[in-house]
Amino acid sequence: MILFFQQWYGELLKLFARRRTYIGFGAFVALEVLLLLLIKKYGMGPIQKAVVGSGQSFDYYFSAITVASTVMGFSVFLLGALFLSLVAGDIVAKEGEDGHMRLLLARPVSRFRLLLIKYLTCTGYAFFLIQFLAWSSFALGLVLRGWGGGYFAIVPEISVVAFYDWGPGLERYALSSLYLGLSMTTISSIAFFLSCFRIKPAAATIGALTYILVDFIMRNSGFMENYQHLLVTKYMANWGRILAETIDWPLIWRGYAVVFAVNITLFTLGYAVFESRDLKS
Amino acid sequence: MALLEVRHLTKRWPTGRLALDDVSFQVKEGEILGLLGHNGAGKSTIMGITLGMVRPDLGEVRIGGHSVQQTRGRALQQIGAIYEAAVFYEYLSGWQNLRVLCSLSGWWDEAEVKRVVQMVNLTRAIQQKAATYSHGMRQRLALAQALLPQPKILLLDEPTDGLDPEGIREFRELILHLRKQHGLTIMLNSHLLGEIEQMCDRCVILKDGKKVYEGPVPSQEKSKRLYLLETTDIGLAREVLDRSGATMDKHGIVEVPLSMEPHELVAALVGGKVQVNAWQPHHRTLEELYMGLSSKS
Repeated sequence: MILFFQQWYGELLKLFARRRTYIGFGAFVALEVLLLLLIKKYGMGPIQKAVVGSGQSFDYYFSAITVASTVMGFSVFLLGALFLSLVAGDIVAKEGEDGHMRLLLARPVSRFRLLLIKYLTCTGYAFFLIQFLAWSSFALGLVLRGWGGGYFAIVPEISVVAFYDWGPGLERYALSSLYLGLSMTTISSIAFFLSCFRIKPAAATIGALTYILVDFIMRNSGFMENYQHLLVTKYMANWGRILAETIDWPLIWRGYAVVFAVNITLFTLGYAVFESRDLKS
Repeated sequence: MALLEVRHLTKRWPTGRLALDDVSFQVKEGEILGLLGHNGAGKSTIMGITLGMVRPDLGEVRIGGHSVQQTRGRALQQIGAIYEAAVFYEYLSGWQNLRVLCSLSGWWDEAEVKRVVQMVNLTRAIQQKAATYSHGMRQRLALAQALLPQPKILLLDEPTDGLDPEGIREFRELILHLRKQHGLTIMLNSHLLGEIEQMCDRCVILKDGKKVYEGPVPSQEKSKRLYLLETTDIGLAREVLDRSGATMDKHGIVEVPLSMEPHELVAALVGGKVQVNAWQPHHRTLEELYMGLSSKS
């Protein structure tokens, strides 16, 4: 087990020694600051309407958590999938292309172990990036609105609308960001799976992004109403149910069981593909 | 004792090209064996199969009695390798590169790593990023990673490729020193005849995926006594030599059997009315052997 962690440390060393890894964090912070400036200048029009329309005081619910939640939602939508598939799409394909894989596999380490380490690294990165996003958004929200107030939670695609006071609101926000982090590991898994083929890293990234986008569009376009259960974004969206006043845990766990099953299947298929490859230039 | 055994390897690429055709040979403990052949002859494919990166259609490689195809991890614990180009993580230092690679062998001993780094003469540059390394430094780092942790066998796949003459000489001396000091067994893959000739005890020559020669490197052949015969009576000379148990190739190189002395053979030639214009010792080169095998096939 110690050996496994030493090897994982080596993989993390590689990940965090690359400038590109930090560009992800930097780009998110830049986007968050931009969104915050837009909120400061133009306010939160549709959210304000929804709060006031529900007979609540907007000033109370215009808090650091509400701002953070909005900023996080937009950031994940605009950049999250891109960065996660960029890192996961690179993790095997790039090393294969550069010849690093031959260097690594000249060692007495199995392909399974090597891929498992890489998979845990890219899914761990996905989870960690989302947590960073959640709490950096919250920190910026605090700068804008300070401590205290309420939390207006809204996730339109699964029809969740709820009002919380500061304490319970912060708990729900923290819990939902953990589950969002788990959901996003599926994007990493898709990119990782494609990365195991003998393809360019960019092809794995584009492939993963395309799949998620098509899945998302099909789920929201209406004509796939009867086939929603086949679309992975339906299960990934379950993090939003944490924000509902009454949490439907069985439904959430069922959704995450599917998310994990998809992840494990993608890892297994990726491994099968990689195992069958001859590694030679 | 054979430390590495290549048994009946056959490999056909998905394109249909036959990369290896029933190739077998052994690398004995303490020897340096050279794999020689033209580009695409199958040298790197043998290296790839030995490291478990390429799957053979038939056959197997055994290292220290362990089959690479059955128990790869155990077999590879005895090997250090430079396989294809020396590619490192450019954004990591030489030291960090070694750390990452050693962790995959489940081993890290800082003192030993320092010793090996010093041996390959990289102590001053080891904390620099690999991106700043020259080609020669990369090759030395590649050798350092191959030597960690203390392998019994070194696999070197065209290790001097791209090095300047000084670099080649330095690298060659280092390898020979390692063999002498640590008794390492080495399998060296190269298409440079001079490199094989100067470093190897034995060689295997491949042509189009087939083994066409396995034996001592000509310059290392101590047992053979070769002489160059110059004569105008080739037919008659061949008859006399055949009667005496000697052989002569088309270039006039005569192999004197161990049962007789060279001067006795000259006497037999003269006695057989062969006009001997010149008779001088000959040292066969690897180039002659290689070109002979190439033209034969």
